[in-house]
Amino acid sequence: MKTQPQPSRRRMIQSTGGGLGLLALADMLHAAPEKTPQYAPKAKRVIQLFMNGGPFQCDLFDPKPDLNKFAGQRPPAADLRTERPTGALMAVPFKFSKHGRSGLEISELLPNTAKCADDLCVVRSMYTDNPNHGPALFMMNNGTLTPNRPTLGAWLSYGLGSENANLPNYVVCCPGRPVRFAELWSNGFLPGEHQGMYVNHSNLNPQQMIPFLKNSTLSPEQQMKQLELMRRLNKGHQAERPGDPNLEARIRTMETAYRMQIEASDAFDISREPLKVRESYGQGHFANGCLLARRLAERGVRFTQVYYGNGQPWDTHSNHTASTRTLCQDIDQPVAALLTDLKQRGLLEDTLVIWGGEFGRTPTTENADGRDHNPWGFTTWMAGGGVRGGMAYGATDEFGFRSVSDKVHVHDLHATILHLMGFDHEKLTYRYGGRDMRLTDVSGTIVRKILA
Amino acid sequence: MRIDSSTGKLEYPPAENPLLIHSILSLALMALLALFASVGRAAASDPADVAFFEQKVRPLLIERCHACHSVASDKKKGGLLLDSRAGILRGGDSGPAAVAGDPSKSLMVQALHYTQTDLQMPPKGKLAQREIETLTDWVRRGLYYPESSGNAKRERRIDIAAGKQFWSFQPLRDVAVPKVKHNDWPTGRIDHFTLAAMESRQLLPAGPAARATLIRRAKFDLLGLPPTPEEVDRFVLNNRPNAFAELIDGWLKSPHYGERWGRYWLDLARYCDIGEAWMETKGLPYRYRDWVVRALNEDMPYQQFVRLQLAADQMNGARPEDRAALGFIGLSPTYWKELQLPVEIIKTIVSDEYEERIHTLSSTFLGLNMACARCHDHKNDPITVEDYYALLGVFASTRQADQALSAGVNGLAVAMAWEEVGKLEVEIKKLSADKAAASVAKMEGLKGKVAQLKKTPGYDALLVPGAVDATLTVVAAKGTHGSQVVYQDKPQDMPIEIRGNPNKPGAVVPRRFVSVLSSGEPRRFEHGSGRIDLANAMVEQAGPLMARVMVNRVWKSHFGTGLVETPSDFGTQGERPSHPELLEDLASRFVSNGWSLKWLHREIMLSATYQQASGTPPAGDESLRYHTRFGRRRLDIEAWRDALLVAGGKLDVTVGGPPQELHLETNHRRTIYGTVKRRELTDLLRLHDFPDPVTHSPSRQPTITPLQQLFILNSPLLTQQAGLLAQRLKREAGAAPAARIDLAYRLLFGRNPTQEERKTGLDFVGDNLDSTWRDYAHVLLASNEFQFID
Repeated sequence: MKTQPQPSRRRMIQSTGGGLGLLALADMLHAAPEKTPQYAPKAKRVIQLFMNGGPFQCDLFDPKPDLNKFAGQRPPAADLRTERPTGALMAVPFKFSKHGRSGLEISELLPNTAKCADDLCVVRSMYTDNPNHGPALFMMNNGTLTPNRPTLGAWLSYGLGSENANLPNYVVCCPGRPVRFAELWSNGFLPGEHQGMYVNHSNLNPQQMIPFLKNSTLSPEQQMKQLELMRRLNKGHQAERPGDPNLEARIRTMETAYRMQIEASDAFDISREPLKVRESYGQGHFANGCLLARRLAERGVRFTQVYYGNGQPWDTHSNHTASTRTLCQDIDQPVAALLTDLKQRGLLEDTLVIWGGEFGRTPTTENADGRDHNPWGFTTWMAGGGVRGGMAYGATDEFGFRSVSDKVHVHDLHATILHLMGFDHEKLTYRYGGRDMRLTDVSGTIVRKILA
Repeated sequence: MRIDSSTGKLEYPPAENPLLIHSILSLALMALLALFASVGRAAASDPADVAFFEQKVRPLLIERCHACHSVASDKKKGGLLLDSRAGILRGGDSGPAAVAGDPSKSLMVQALHYTQTDLQMPPKGKLAQREIETLTDWVRRGLYYPESSGNAKRERRIDIAAGKQFWSFQPLRDVAVPKVKHNDWPTGRIDHFTLAAMESRQLLPAGPAARATLIRRAKFDLLGLPPTPEEVDRFVLNNRPNAFAELIDGWLKSPHYGERWGRYWLDLARYCDIGEAWMETKGLPYRYRDWVVRALNEDMPYQQFVRLQLAADQMNGARPEDRAALGFIGLSPTYWKELQLPVEIIKTIVSDEYEERIHTLSSTFLGLNMACARCHDHKNDPITVEDYYALLGVFASTRQADQALSAGVNGLAVAMAWEEVGKLEVEIKKLSADKAAASVAKMEGLKGKVAQLKKTPGYDALLVPGAVDATLTVVAAKGTHGSQVVYQDKPQDMPIEIRGNPNKPGAVVPRRFVSVLSSGEPRRFEHGSGRIDLANAMVEQAGPLMARVMVNRVWKSHFGTGLVETPSDFGTQGERPSHPELLEDLASRFVSNGWSLKWLHREIMLSATYQQASGTPPAGDESLRYHTRFGRRRLDIEAWRDALLVAGGKLDVTVGGPPQELHLETNHRRTIYGTVKRRELTDLLRLHDFPDPVTHSPSRQPTITPLQQLFILNSPLLTQQAGLLAQRLKREAGAAPAARIDLAYRLLFGRNPTQEERKTGLDFVGDNLDSTWRDYAHVLLASNEFQFID
């Protein structure tokens, strides 16, 4: 197999040192040039739909008849330690049925998503390491329980560079602020350009979403005039300092920035979508987030993360069943619309869509009608770019509590995502603190059986 | 899940990866060889056992176990090898994997049955019942496993004596100044070394920089500020040979020097003004920032600077205000400890914090990342796992707590009194609306309590987030299912955490210094937590390394390129110095000059190497590692924003004090005083390569991105400063447009415009409207010439 050379050790040293190594200069020359992954990728971009707070797997994608049969009891197998004390098993009132040619079982809460069953690759055997939101959010985003490492999106931005220089590479949308906020899209020790750009899309005006996108006092004509003068002065300055790639880079990124004012305004403006499309996504922040994500993916943004909402709305410690009904109503149509829309545009085949939370919830009850955090077992699904649709992978135990077969740790999910994006997760590294750091640290196994 | 509640390093086999295929092939081959090899010894073995093993057991081991537990796969998860009988009997982190003949006492068998939540193998899913029975049977039958040569690899420990031979761990050498051909070029010792390196590569230095260029470069470099037009004129006309030295000496006395160079230090120390929401501190972080600035301005010997940051509270002769230095420890990031969680998980979080402390300590002062030795001996450097836990004991005996900047005051007690008074005052305020007699009486009672609390000794003292000696332990909380964090006075030696897992303690390691940096036996730490011993050991025993690391940091900040381009990694994975002898010479002289940073700046800036012109790098020195030119640099965010404010005539040069938000239009203070929030950097900093203050940053990584240019085109900061600059031009240069343009060039670039530049400017401001002048000023501020230093 022919492989592209991985950024070499020497190159790493040069670029981490921020010094003036030739290759580092080449890096600066292009703010974030498109780079070639290590091998042919299946997906070029990712949209991650993050159900922050943690949905309950057995309500949605992991049917467990035994759970209802033993409701009200606490058999030994359901005696797992989670964050808070929990009681007996609590029944799931939702019905499941088979969908699509694959016959994938999906809950009645998601009738529209169910129509895309044949595109979904449902991993029922996810597990993570900590039953507390912060550490679990970090694990899902950066592969550790602490906040000081680069996140998945940052690694992809670093590894792949930009597909569209006029747009940021890594965008995080949330109608509000998810718990732990900017730590969830940190660049860690990677260069600052790889940090996620946070967008609060509860206000849909692109100028409110992107800082400094528009000049509040100057007209485009005035600004054009400024730019012409700037070109002229910079050119004169540069003429006496030939061959300096940094001077050139700044001139060029200035031009890009000028264009971005138009292009980014367009990319982030969902009001430009035809009514029919907007209607297909439905209403609400999450619908808007999904549509925004599609517009960005279409224009080459590498990694778009859409958090469901402010704080952690899926954290249903009480009133679980009723809340879940509402939450699902909110996501069902937009998720289905996103998948359908991407497919119709021919984008689904090289866009990886990921859905899930930082962990799942307990089959046992908390506060009479709530469910606690569950790191032992939960569901994440993927669709599109390189995964097999219409399949369920792995299993939890009879009550849906603990992942028991074909278990997939978050590290494995990361390794698989990187694989789909064209990277060997053991080789996408960055030298920091004398170590070649990676997203999966010393772990991670590609889940081969779910690859298309 | 395996080791659920532990480090989070769950262990499982990589299914179907090339390694596995490789291991299957090689093991199959080994199996075959072993079969032949074992024929001779097989007399002792029951042929039925041999057949059972080869037909049923070995394939299962290869397929389901060896990917993570065999020499062939180079993986030894949990410290366990399952590719030999000895390996199984020796076992791993949890103890022997099996007892031959007794499945019920065999951990391996228990793991296969998945009965316990924290002991389940293989981790990806339970084996089929038949397979479990096969392996159980195998244990019962006595665990027959033929010998083979392939699995005899022994664990290798680090050879400390050999490790000491590495260049950066050696004592400082006296080096002779090398001979050079172009004798007339050097102005100091540095130049002999750089020139010799150039000459050996058939390279030559550039000529000296123009004086106007040099003064702009040097003032930005040393103070982070642009020279005034008057300073430029004076210097350009001053032909005395020591004119530049006088300039440098003057600036070294400026309080702005500490602001510029202190900020570099704060990057290493992951300084922030606002840390985690749960940080238990009433102290003000900026007192640490101001202490750093002041220490540099005082030219505090670097040794002392280091020692105070670890143990100011325990050093004889330290001034009370020096306790602010403890902010280095006091501002360490802390991770949320959800006390509803069990002890095992909380212990892991605490261990992660210790790792952060050791990483930052060793990277900052010693240029080594010792955190790599948390789980195993350092893979590359001679740092053992014992060294790591010997240091960890120091942090495990230290608590982040407020320190008072006055002698004899217990900062922690004051902080607690403040907390209590705060609560009481809220209550009093609520009650004060109520005139009922009972409320009045209650209020009086509360007021009495407040008065009492205010008598706490040192109640009016200044507090800083610092450190005190106190030992943290995590225990199960009584009566709930969660945990509790308890502090005690007695320091503690910590056990090795096997594979970094605090729930698998190994042998206890006494607190002591790092072996490879010690002369002879590592010195034991005996005073309190050992912070003072650690500080002394670093200075006394690791002095050469500390000096090399710091000299290199200063060099890199002056030139943009280090003598070692991995400033926080002087280990084997780090780069070797481009000029080893120069680094030795400078480090030795730095030490003999009393660890004076000001001496070092002067030595560097007065060199011909520093005073060269910048320019296109010649062939053979493309990255300017050999300093054949001065490297042109873009201003970092601090210098650039400060220069913008200087241009607008609004820079407030007050030194020190509370931080202010950088996005406020009313904030005219130097950028170092902008509020740094650990969890959310302000846009200005975030866009301009400011390091994430959650972790030690060895050096800034300059990027040039479109989002930065959007900031320049559209941010209120630029518009505001452009407006101020335009007003200033009008005010100071009068009505004549050409005079205004000339002044702008002198203010921003330290030179007069060319004819053509003047004409271009006049064309632009043709209508002479104030707003047009503002737009013109904006362009000048956005130009490359303003942002780059030749």
